[in-house]
Amino acid sequence: MKNGLLILLLATTLFAKEAVLPSELSAWKALSYMGSAKNPQELPNATLTLNTASLVGLVPTPKIQYVARPTNEGGTVSYGGLFQITLKEKGLYRVVLANASWIDLIKDGKPAPSVAHAQGSENSGIRKMVDYNLDEGTYTLQLSAGADTKSALLVTKLK
Amino acid sequence: MIKYILTIGIYLLVAQPALQAQSAQDTAEHKAQIELGRRLFYDADLSINGTMSCATCHEQRRSFADGNQAHPGALDDPGKRNVPGLANIGQFKNLTWAHNHLSGLAEQSLMPIRGTNPVEMGMNGHEDQIRKRLGQNGCYQKLFLLAFPKEKGSIHFGTVSRALESFQKTFISNQSLYDQMMEKGTSLPTKNAQRGKNLFFGAAKCNTCHTAPLFSDDAFHQVQPREQNTEQKTTDYGLSDVTGNPKDKNIFRTPSLRNAALTSPYWHDGSAKTLAESIQKHDLKTNQTLSHQEMTELVAFIDTLSDMTFVNNPKYAKPSKKCPY
Repeated sequence: MKNGLLILLLATTLFAKEAVLPSELSAWKALSYMGSAKNPQELPNATLTLNTASLVGLVPTPKIQYVARPTNEGGTVSYGGLFQITLKEKGLYRVVLANASWIDLIKDGKPAPSVAHAQGSENSGIRKMVDYNLDEGTYTLQLSAGADTKSALLVTKLK
Repeated sequence: MIKYILTIGIYLLVAQPALQAQSAQDTAEHKAQIELGRRLFYDADLSINGTMSCATCHEQRRSFADGNQAHPGALDDPGKRNVPGLANIGQFKNLTWAHNHLSGLAEQSLMPIRGTNPVEMGMNGHEDQIRKRLGQNGCYQKLFLLAFPKEKGSIHFGTVSRALESFQKTFISNQSLYDQMMEKGTSLPTKNAQRGKNLFFGAAKCNTCHTAPLFSDDAFHQVQPREQNTEQKTTDYGLSDVTGNPKDKNIFRTPSLRNAALTSPYWHDGSAKTLAESIQKHDLKTNQTLSHQEMTELVAFIDTLSDMTFVNNPKYAKPSKKCPY
């Protein structure tokens, strides 16, 4: 009950003034809570579902053991976390975030190169969107250098 | 006279080893300062919330520029200007887009760290946080002591900024295709690039301000028509923001064109997405006479100023987590 109220409060804060979102971001509004993994062993408990937005809890950077060294490492006072997601088909995917954490999508120990970056529209609650051309398979999504203990997070397929 | 010569001779005999020892000591300290500066350059603990390091905006693969029009600060304040590249930055007297009173890179590095217009890394008034965060790291303790033995390894804005200066002064970019061809005394490999070079140093007079070898004259100019300033999202009067002199309004330092092909977008406000757009923004009579083909040739020449050994040099890359000492 307490968590439910917290999620409602945070979601209300994030999306106080609703923006009109494109269809590919329609899942952005429905949030379910998920804690992040602090190390690779905890990844099964932090599995993201495609096209499902999550309110993710982030942990202090010094407590995190990343799968691969983040491109942009946060300082000792920043926050981050690890997640995993399995993609069933090759395509263009977008990672959507409510904060400005750095995103690395790791497969076979290497980060996938991003192909586009954008910010969300005003009042959308979206701080950044990063696109990747990805193969099918399981990826580790690493968030690093974040300023907050939480963020909304969505992975969606564009085409 | 003989006594005088003997005195000088004895002085030289005694002084020489001392000078060498001093030099060796300086070198060891200087090496430690460079290593320390490199670690600090990539350390986000230099920002208020641990989200930004110098390298967040100054990416090596982009010749230490940034792919955004302007980069927001650690607290999401909008950036004021496009992030400039840092190739050969130690060779410049005037630093940043529009400042002529900075004593050097040490003082300049404090602008993003503790500056307030705009707030970038947000550390103004938080020097104690720098000391606390870095001081609890054993590797930093060793490095600060080796780099600044006379100050007993003290951690403060002064030592941090001097280490950053030492590291940035190592940023030498002089191995572009243009440099290699000049050294061999041969023409550039494509007709477009060679014609562009001729234009650059000839009829288009680009070299007047983008002066080789830095491809910047390190001076301030107004090259943009005043009406184009309405594009700016934030108020930016260039050099006059520093000097207060109305004559300096809308005057900016000539950016270097070395590695320019890697540093888009362009212009002090990042409003030019491509090199061609940037050339078109110049309010010069020569610009009016440039044909589409000539523009292509100029861009082809500027492409030859890209130095991939610079952007791939491991000496400038993010250091290993392992402490070197």
